Amino acid sequence: MNSASMGLLPDGQDVPFSDIESTMAQLAREGRRRKGGPARALTATVVVVGEPDRMAEAAEALGLLSEAAGVRTILISEGQETAPSARVTAHAIGIAGLAPRFLNNAVAALRLSSLPTAVWWRGGPAEALQEIAHLADRLVIDVEDPARAWRVVGSIVDETAVTDLRWGRLTRWRSIFAHLYDLPAVRHARVRRLSLTASDPFAARLFAGWMRAMLQWSPDVAIHLVRADAPSKWPIESVQLEADGVDITVKTGSGHPCLHATIAGKETSTRIVPLGNGALKAVIGEELAVRSRDIAFERALDAALEVPAWP
Amino acid sequence: MDVSATNPLLDGLRIEPTPQPTVLVIFGASGDLTNRKLLPALYQLARGQRLPAQFRVLGVARTSWDDEAFRAHFHESLKTFAGLADPDEVSKALASDLFYVGGEMDDPALYARIASKLAEPGWPDGVLFYLAIPPTVYKQVVSRLADATLVKPRVDNGWRRVIVEKPFGTDLASARELNRALHRYLDEPQIFRIDHYLGKETVQNLLVFRFANGMFEPVWNRRYIDHVQITAAETVGVERRAAYYESAGALRDMVQNHLMQVLAHVAMEPPIRFSAENVRDRKLDVLLSIQPLQSSNGDDRTPLDVVRAQYTAGWVNGAEVPGYRQEEGVKTSSLTETFVAMRLQLDSWRWAGVPFYIRTGKRLPKRTTEIAIQFRRPPLHLFKRVSPTSISPNLLIVNVQPDEGISVRFEAKLPGTRMQLAPVMMNFRYGSAFGRAVPEAYETLLLDAMLGDPTLFARHDFVEHSWGLITPVHEAWAASGATEIPAYEAGEWGPREADQLIAADGRRWRTL
Repeated sequence: MNSASMGLLPDGQDVPFSDIESTMAQLAREGRRRKGGPARALTATVVVVGEPDRMAEAAEALGLLSEAAGVRTILISEGQETAPSARVTAHAIGIAGLAPRFLNNAVAALRLSSLPTAVWWRGGPAEALQEIAHLADRLVIDVEDPARAWRVVGSIVDETAVTDLRWGRLTRWRSIFAHLYDLPAVRHARVRRLSLTASDPFAARLFAGWMRAMLQWSPDVAIHLVRADAPSKWPIESVQLEADGVDITVKTGSGHPCLHATIAGKETSTRIVPLGNGALKAVIGEELAVRSRDIAFERALDAALEVPAWP
Repeated sequence: MDVSATNPLLDGLRIEPTPQPTVLVIFGASGDLTNRKLLPALYQLARGQRLPAQFRVLGVARTSWDDEAFRAHFHESLKTFAGLADPDEVSKALASDLFYVGGEMDDPALYARIASKLAEPGWPDGVLFYLAIPPTVYKQVVSRLADATLVKPRVDNGWRRVIVEKPFGTDLASARELNRALHRYLDEPQIFRIDHYLGKETVQNLLVFRFANGMFEPVWNRRYIDHVQITAAETVGVERRAAYYESAGALRDMVQNHLMQVLAHVAMEPPIRFSAENVRDRKLDVLLSIQPLQSSNGDDRTPLDVVRAQYTAGWVNGAEVPGYRQEEGVKTSSLTETFVAMRLQLDSWRWAGVPFYIRTGKRLPKRTTEIAIQFRRPPLHLFKRVSPTSISPNLLIVNVQPDEGISVRFEAKLPGTRMQLAPVMMNFRYGSAFGRAVPEAYETLLLDAMLGDPTLFARHDFVEHSWGLITPVHEAWAASGATEIPAYEAGEWGPREADQLIAADGRRWRTL
């Protein structure tokens, strides 16, 4: 397997690992000569690690992202190679089929010194995740089944700021509930039940964990997760909060990417807010820009681990 | 923790903070500022979910509109100034929260209608009045609001605030009088004097740059800094603002407010903490340390601290343009300055002997606002024998607009066997470094006013002291009896006299 066969960096140049830095410097010089203008300031290293079939999509998203922000991207697909080939452009490196036990060695050698390193984790052994986390300032977990990765989080959060990409996708949902919590009728109501309909059970658990942790719900507050009828581009389809005197229902809009909130109590009112850009590039771009520890996520994750999955 | 007292769901939320329930009452709802800036800013805040959960806008103006006409105007504004060709769900939802009351600003019945609207069920008691109207009617509107008991909240957790647009007075006496008039009805924390320069990301970043980094502040003083240049250049002429500009001029329009704020951010001492009052106290100290300005009034013995000039016909942005006196609405004998250059000396431990040069003008070659901090040259030219060209002094440039960012110029060795030196630039650009859009100044300022955070608004004493510096210059100009002022050709970097001002100190303006 090589980088080209993975669809990584189609305009790149194949080089031995030891020539990566010198070739990148040369390509950067040539690029500047062709385009003119000053060199761009680099602000971070972004490392993507994952199974080969998830790399092309990540490479495309990061390619678009690095056009907007000065970052060095390192794309590493996992395999069995101990001396893998590398493919480089002026600001990106692709390494195909690297044995997971050498992941941290490769990243240690290639990350920009003195600038933050963010790792976008798209799959791999939990042990490798733990090792690479030591080199990262920010770790973004983005795997379909994060159960193993989530269990590692507790041991690394003191050193590395961790999040899950689905947490970023829940931002608008969290925001509208935070917004609605400012309404006196909502703030002072006793909550009885939270129901979520979702296509992603982990997103649903994370959201429920967040509500439970932040509002300090007792176990009496029932949490009910329902599997969505069909797959959706949004992780959650609807959330219903039932409380004394007021019910809140928030649903994804049909057609436009919006959230429709209905607050039913003494009076019924509605809110419509944009759901934001759910494209991978937008969501990962937002997450990679964050450097600080996210205590709310950590508390939500702790609570989410206690929320039962749907039957 | 009592979760009902605060909003724990906001913890760690990146879309934060959001204000308490608010009604925004815009006086001048059919005017240019509302159309160009306020309505698009509200839409962007709605898109970013920054508006309160309960939010209404009540437009007030003389125009005979109803709610629907105001809403249609809102959609038109977004089409023209927010690039929203067709209403989307957010703009439709926001439009449904827009209401309108028409009437004359001096008519008590108008205020009775406003009071009646604000008292309707479901309308929050947090009210922000935005005076997007001519300054001549500020006093009248505020006194009418007070007469209608609209400046005091109806319930305990209600609040009332007033945003006042510039210009805040036309000289020291009028600024003091306006402050007195507002303070008759409002407490200072209720008054938000807007200066849109303070909403600009780079101006705010100056504080972060200086006080969140350990490496700059130690050299931020007279020992290492030779001088500072602040430039605010516009390519436009007076456009549709001739009536205002004729009575204002560049000194009032740009220096008294925007550039004094920028100067204060550059020169202020570190505040004890990042709170509104501490920051504003330290900014005021800067103004208090500025030596009185001396203007050329025809007496050659008077040092020239201030130069004024007016543009004549020329060529800007690829087109021929008329001179100032040929602009529509401008008197043919006008002495209004469209350019000002000045030298300020700060009597402070940090800045004694470091001149601050300020220049601003219309119809200059390019639109740019920047702060250039020029450092002293090294004490010894160690490489003189091998590299005889003089060493360029280090420069730190803060670009305020249009390309917001920070650049540092330093010397480097040119590659080769010979020891040759050349200046190089290290650039940080907001547009590319973070890959996200910088918010419009009015978005930031509207949100801060709704949140009750006055950090980015001018306090009464800053405004008065700023006028206190500027007013004597206007008085000297008026007393000079001059019938002409220096001229510069549109598309050039100001008059020869401005070059002489800085050349007298052995320095020159940066070529931008």
